[in-house]
Amino acid sequence: MLNEKIHTGPVETPKTVQETAPVVELPVQYPKSESNAQDIVKVVNLSKQFDGIEVLRDINLTIKKGDVVSILGSSGSGKSTLLRCMNWLEQPERGSIHLGDERIGINPATRKPLKYKELAKIRERIGMVFQSFNLWPHLTVLRNVMEALLHVKKMPKVEAEKIARAQLEKVGMSHKLDSYPSMLSGGQKQRVAIARALAMEPEVLLFDEPTSALDPELVDEVLTVMQSLSKEGYTMVVVTHEMEFARNVSSQVVFLEKGILIEKCPPEKFFTHPDSPRVRQFLKLDGA
Amino acid sequence: MTEWEIIWQQREIFISGFGNTFALFFAGSIASFILGVTLLYTLENGSKGVKGSVILVINMMRTLPFLILAYLLYYGLPQAGIRMDAFTAGLISLSLYHGTYFCEIFRGIRKGLDSGQMEAAQACGFSRFKTFTRIIIPNVLLRSLPLIANQLIICLKDTAFLCIITVGEITAAANSIQSTYFIPLNAFIVAIALYWIISIAIEQVSKITLNKVQDRGLSHA
Amino acid sequence: MDYYGWMQLLQGAWTTAWISMVSIALGVVIGLVIALIRMAKLPIIDQILGVYVSWARATPLVTLALFIFLSFPSFGINLDKHFSAILCLTLNTSAFNAEIWRNAFLNFSSGQKEAAEALGMRRMTYFRRIMFPQMVVMSLPALVNEMSFLIKGSPAIAVIGVVDLTRVTNRIAAVTYEPLLPILCAGILYMCIIGVLIKLQQMAERKANYLAG
Repeated sequence: MLNEKIHTGPVETPKTVQETAPVVELPVQYPKSESNAQDIVKVVNLSKQFDGIEVLRDINLTIKKGDVVSILGSSGSGKSTLLRCMNWLEQPERGSIHLGDERIGINPATRKPLKYKELAKIRERIGMVFQSFNLWPHLTVLRNVMEALLHVKKMPKVEAEKIARAQLEKVGMSHKLDSYPSMLSGGQKQRVAIARALAMEPEVLLFDEPTSALDPELVDEVLTVMQSLSKEGYTMVVVTHEMEFARNVSSQVVFLEKGILIEKCPPEKFFTHPDSPRVRQFLKLDGA
Repeated sequence: MTEWEIIWQQREIFISGFGNTFALFFAGSIASFILGVTLLYTLENGSKGVKGSVILVINMMRTLPFLILAYLLYYGLPQAGIRMDAFTAGLISLSLYHGTYFCEIFRGIRKGLDSGQMEAAQACGFSRFKTFTRIIIPNVLLRSLPLIANQLIICLKDTAFLCIITVGEITAAANSIQSTYFIPLNAFIVAIALYWIISIAIEQVSKITLNKVQDRGLSHA
Repeated sequence: MDYYGWMQLLQGAWTTAWISMVSIALGVVIGLVIALIRMAKLPIIDQILGVYVSWARATPLVTLALFIFLSFPSFGINLDKHFSAILCLTLNTSAFNAEIWRNAFLNFSSGQKEAAEALGMRRMTYFRRIMFPQMVVMSLPALVNEMSFLIKGSPAIAVIGVVDLTRVTNRIAAVTYEPLLPILCAGILYMCIIGVLIKLQQMAERKANYLAG
């Protein structure tokens, strides 16, 4: 029942009409069947190295509108790197990532890296929630959420404040508008960080281990917020260790092992009869 | 007539000296502050060559006495055809010198900032300039308050060097009074007291600001 | 600039060097003594020393040098200008060094003292064998930093007629009418001296971090 997705999503038609020409075909191949308008994020043949060590190898992944994709894997499997490539915080060596019709990070016409400003334009459309919250310590909770609206979207203050208040209400943080981040608990910080990402009306939300830095008793308040977002139809990509969340909330589960995507299927299948023996081992399905 | 009465009679000299010291200190610290922030911006977003030369200049200034720079501007440059009056030379050397020291302070604090904040700004689509003005600068400034106050006091004291290149500031005022009336003790007590008062004022302002910042839970000190 | 000019320049460098070295040596020791006295928290003396530190931090060296050199004769004490210079620099640097030593005291972990007491070590032995050696290592970076500040402030003594490395450039220019070269040369000499100190400071920092970690 939790997998029923209302495919309406928040208002997410970008205000700017795409000026760029349709993506020029590069020497990469799209997975044949999946290529329609509902695809929001497409990762194609992605590879990434750190100091000569391959951390991502030939990853292909398509995320549709309204999908909630959980990325699982043991630590060091490259799952966070994959997520960080999706908004170009890490630059992959090979392959491509697309948000809607646009390629992230590289200008498809010139095949050169995007200018910082062009990259920023795309990043506006991708929300990110970090493991260590990364709130701005010099700003109040309200200002943290308003800041990007004011200085990236150049919104008038009144409007930005209205949106920020609404988003903070949604994550249950309206009572702390004037607090500074240092006065909040980890769970509260993360909820503010989620509100900050939501306020930008992103087309996709990336969560990089959003509960890993939290004390165990604070994990649930964040997961509850994330679950309600999934019900509202947000497209989410979540790197996590929370099996319960992956099983009950996500529509797709992806498993990474040593930089290779070895399993991608709905959670019902993933948690009961996955194809890969490595996943069976990870879930301890065989021994039981 | 007692010695203190002479000082009181000559107060005009002290007042004008104090005015000059304060003008040098005030204009100099604002200019060097702006220079420090600008240099930090070039270190943040400049090309490799620019960064390298900024760091070279900072390291050079760190090994030079302030007076040598003032000498260079006031006595040295006329030989190259650049002439300026003592006050201008003093103000420029004060700004250049302390600008690089401010930048060094900011650079140290910047290194210690958690990079996640900047990543979050990047992920929200902030431009480089906005990341600098909205995120980096407020954090760096709030965290470097005690060091800024300390540097301001050094800047104030460096204005005294300028009496050597004939700027009529507080120390020069005291010196001219003592040489006319032979009351060095009283003259310099007044001069030192004036410096002390300004320093204490700087320290107090910095303390009050620091307390406000600490209320937000934002400070290394 | 002729041979005589170069010799003058080197002489100026030597004057700066020896006066600075004497003041540094005196300042480090006097600073330690002041810090020790302040740690004892003697009622009135502690406050007097506190005021002294605040005063010395706020007083420019130029003003202080003139004050010492010109005022003391009015008490019937005639001071040689070199002696005045050393007195001035020492008065100044001692205050800063006292703060550095005091910080080392205040930041010293009390656990080590308890460990020493548990072993039956006497207080003096504890101070000499355990505490002081570590305090030196911890304070050294700041002390060396203060040394380069002292040298950077040393041109102040030119104001009372000591012909130091800065003042000497005026003397040379008075003959050659070309001030640029001697000023640049003096600048380079300062860079070398203080550059060495900054390198030493970085080495001391590494050692201090080793102790902390």
